[in-house]
Amino acid sequence: MSTEAVVSAVKDSGATRTPLRIAGRSTWLDAGRPVRAVKTLSLRDDSGVVGYVPGDLTLTVRAGTPLSEIERVTNEHNQWLPLDPYGSSDGTIGATIATASAGPLSTGFGLPRDLLLGLEFVNGRGEVVRGGGKVVKNVAGFDLSRLMTGSWGTLGVITEVTLRLYALPATDRTFSITLAGDKHEVAALIHAITLSPLSPYALQLLSRSAAQALGLGNNPVCVIRFGGNEAVVNAQLIALSHISRPEEQESSLWGRLRNLEASAHTTIRISGLPTKVLAAAATIIRDDIHLVYTYMDPRRGTLRIVLRADETDGVQTTGAIGSAGDFHTTGNGYSEVIFEKLPAEIWEGISPSVVSDSLSQGVKRAFDPDNILNPGILGE
Amino acid sequence: MTQPSPASRPAQLSPAQSTVAERLAGIVGERHVLSRPSELLVYNSDGLPGYRRQPRLAVFPGTREETIAVVRLLADEGLPFVPRGAGTGLSGGALADDIVVIGIHRLKKIISLDVDNRRATVEPGVVNLRLNKHVAPYGLLYAPDPSSEAACTIGGNVAENAGGPHCLKYGVTLNHVLALTVVLPSGEVVELGSKVGERDGYDLRGAFIGSEGCFGLALDITVKLTPKPQTVRTLLADFMSVDAAAHVTSSIIASGIVPAALEFMDGATIRVVEDSIYAAGYPRDAQAILLIELDGLEAGVSADLEAVRRICIDGGARNVKVARDDAERMKLWQGRKKAFGAMGRMAPHLIVQDAVIPRTRLPEILATIRKIGEKYGVMVCNVFHAGDGNLHPNIPYSADDPEEAERVHKAMIEIMQACIDAGGSITGEHGVGLDKMGYMEAIFSESSLNAMCELRGVFDPERRSNPGKVVPLHACKEWNSVARSRLRMSTIAPAHADDDLPGATARPLETEPTHPSAE
Repeated sequence: MSTEAVVSAVKDSGATRTPLRIAGRSTWLDAGRPVRAVKTLSLRDDSGVVGYVPGDLTLTVRAGTPLSEIERVTNEHNQWLPLDPYGSSDGTIGATIATASAGPLSTGFGLPRDLLLGLEFVNGRGEVVRGGGKVVKNVAGFDLSRLMTGSWGTLGVITEVTLRLYALPATDRTFSITLAGDKHEVAALIHAITLSPLSPYALQLLSRSAAQALGLGNNPVCVIRFGGNEAVVNAQLIALSHISRPEEQESSLWGRLRNLEASAHTTIRISGLPTKVLAAAATIIRDDIHLVYTYMDPRRGTLRIVLRADETDGVQTTGAIGSAGDFHTTGNGYSEVIFEKLPAEIWEGISPSVVSDSLSQGVKRAFDPDNILNPGILGE
Repeated sequence: MTQPSPASRPAQLSPAQSTVAERLAGIVGERHVLSRPSELLVYNSDGLPGYRRQPRLAVFPGTREETIAVVRLLADEGLPFVPRGAGTGLSGGALADDIVVIGIHRLKKIISLDVDNRRATVEPGVVNLRLNKHVAPYGLLYAPDPSSEAACTIGGNVAENAGGPHCLKYGVTLNHVLALTVVLPSGEVVELGSKVGERDGYDLRGAFIGSEGCFGLALDITVKLTPKPQTVRTLLADFMSVDAAAHVTSSIIASGIVPAALEFMDGATIRVVEDSIYAAGYPRDAQAILLIELDGLEAGVSADLEAVRRICIDGGARNVKVARDDAERMKLWQGRKKAFGAMGRMAPHLIVQDAVIPRTRLPEILATIRKIGEKYGVMVCNVFHAGDGNLHPNIPYSADDPEEAERVHKAMIEIMQACIDAGGSITGEHGVGLDKMGYMEAIFSESSLNAMCELRGVFDPERRSNPGKVVPLHACKEWNSVARSRLRMSTIAPAHADDDLPGATARPLETEPTHPSAE
């Protein structure tokens, strides 16, 4: 697979008006609305490093490169891409950018849009387009890279991306704090941790179900990751110890947390003003629905509600969607609700489209006039 | 709609009979419409004095409602316009060639500040530094800090996706804008992004930021604020060789330490600054200095400070001085931030580039720039964001000397070509505007440029907002076939007695670069 192969696949589909399902390694195919396509264009085999000069801290890879491969290649040079979307790390960088997926490290390193420097894609007419560049700062031309990030393959097939890397920290440690006690005690603890002058790489509050699934006991838990030179990690650990009693955890905990979503059938992300999310945090993580995993990043202001396919039924799905709705309503519109995964049959009733405004419609027409790329995945 | 003030009410004229100038005055008040060439001279250039374009008319709305009404009137008339902030841009992007300028400097309300959620909503004419002063008492700052921060507006920063020294660690405007309310060139008002959280769907906010005024005008901007770091330490390292300073820059970046800022100034620039009122106490005999700032939690900063000092010394620094207090820090920064201004002492005109190169190529490219300067007998002053690889080679010269101007332009083209050949970008933070439009085809293919045209076409189908900028018109497939809409001059403004003011509409200093491939 190469850019030329993608061009010819897209042109063929355009000529025959055969819509295409764009896929990476197909690990996240259950995300997004149902796609009306009979053919799948997989970028699985379009993998590998195109350019990597470690001293520049930038990396250019083909879109089908798995995140785990990027980790391996960069770690050899004591560097990393601090982007750890929930779900399997076998997922590809192309899918990560296309879906704007981020994970716990977004607390410290931002979202995919903040790490992306440039990309190449094939639009719906089979034209090869580049946006951005390969250097760390660039304002040449209109920003097609941001436009493609989170467009779920509906504007073009991403074939190559250039990313900003960071040096691996000298010290990288993970701690947990059990959030036991009554609602007020838990709330006070969460406030103290969240509002402290710490700069964690990641900070997550896990509901009891999520904590149990990760083997962290039978109470809600705060997990926090510090990185940097030894001095800065130690100083933060001392500050955290003044608030509560942190327990050190293996860093593999983060991989296990991400993997909770690998077999999810429902994932709802709520994103709101951090103060609103923080105010509701204690209630949300204590009001556990059995086997509904809830975890939140109070600094980023996000909350995820996850249901796994093998464990839950329609009643729990309805309950989870109901609690997302409750938060949205009680927040008086101080939040956005983003449905990442839902059972296929309920999309239409819950979130028919996120691209129905006239600008988004215009963008879609400009980049994919025949509507052959992932039709329906963001709605109509 | 705002009521026209009595003084500006277009007397007995019906809208159809009155001129556009009169009708604009009816919206914003007569004082806030300029149409005499002599009054408009101020608006005929930006921070790059080599480019001049005389606007036909300038209008300065004072409220959001007035802004919308102005844009709608121009839409009804099919008239093109150029949004303009403080005019500090360095790309010729805010110039209006015989069309209407919409100045935003009266739109300067800080609409709201949410300290707990670290965000503020401002009107586009709010000056960058004023926002910073406003939020400083709450322990917050707005991170993008262009050198023109004392004058430039947040609206202008959004249009250009502005950067600044501290973007090395904190990111550019793009990374700090959460939401925008925008009036599209059609007069339609839309919300982009979300004030309350992350949103799915297309990142139209991302597309708008850096669109150089071609996608419409921001009416309000919600920005993310950053907590002031616990500790800030600033180092000044001086070198007797440019090459050593360049290698040290590459070594610091490769070490993985992310300084808040890492700035480079060569000997020529040091001496210009030291001779000016902005003298910062830089060693006059040095061939290069690095200004390095580290910030964050005290413990971490102290450790990094030692590591950076060691890299500087090992890399051949003659001295490494750490600012003792805030006053000393500010003085070191003042010299850097005012370096462009200080160059005004040397020659009447200054041309500056903004290319970005991969950071490992810095020593090699700086050597190439020196050779190019020697070849053409021009003085290149380098003062730039080394940590990002964002070069700013400046050449002071006199545009009135055609022979010198010719050499300067040839040198600039060669420098740009060297940066492009190194895999770089033609602009890191100044924008394309008019100045770099000729280089767009050197870094983007025909289909990429066409995709940009199409994106613009979504926001501005009639291409009336800042026409003729960023993407060369001939690169736009669709628009090639559309005849350029002619302006109905007579309806814009009445003739004035001083229309023939010498130099008012002529372009005596026209010094536009030739595209390399056109050579």
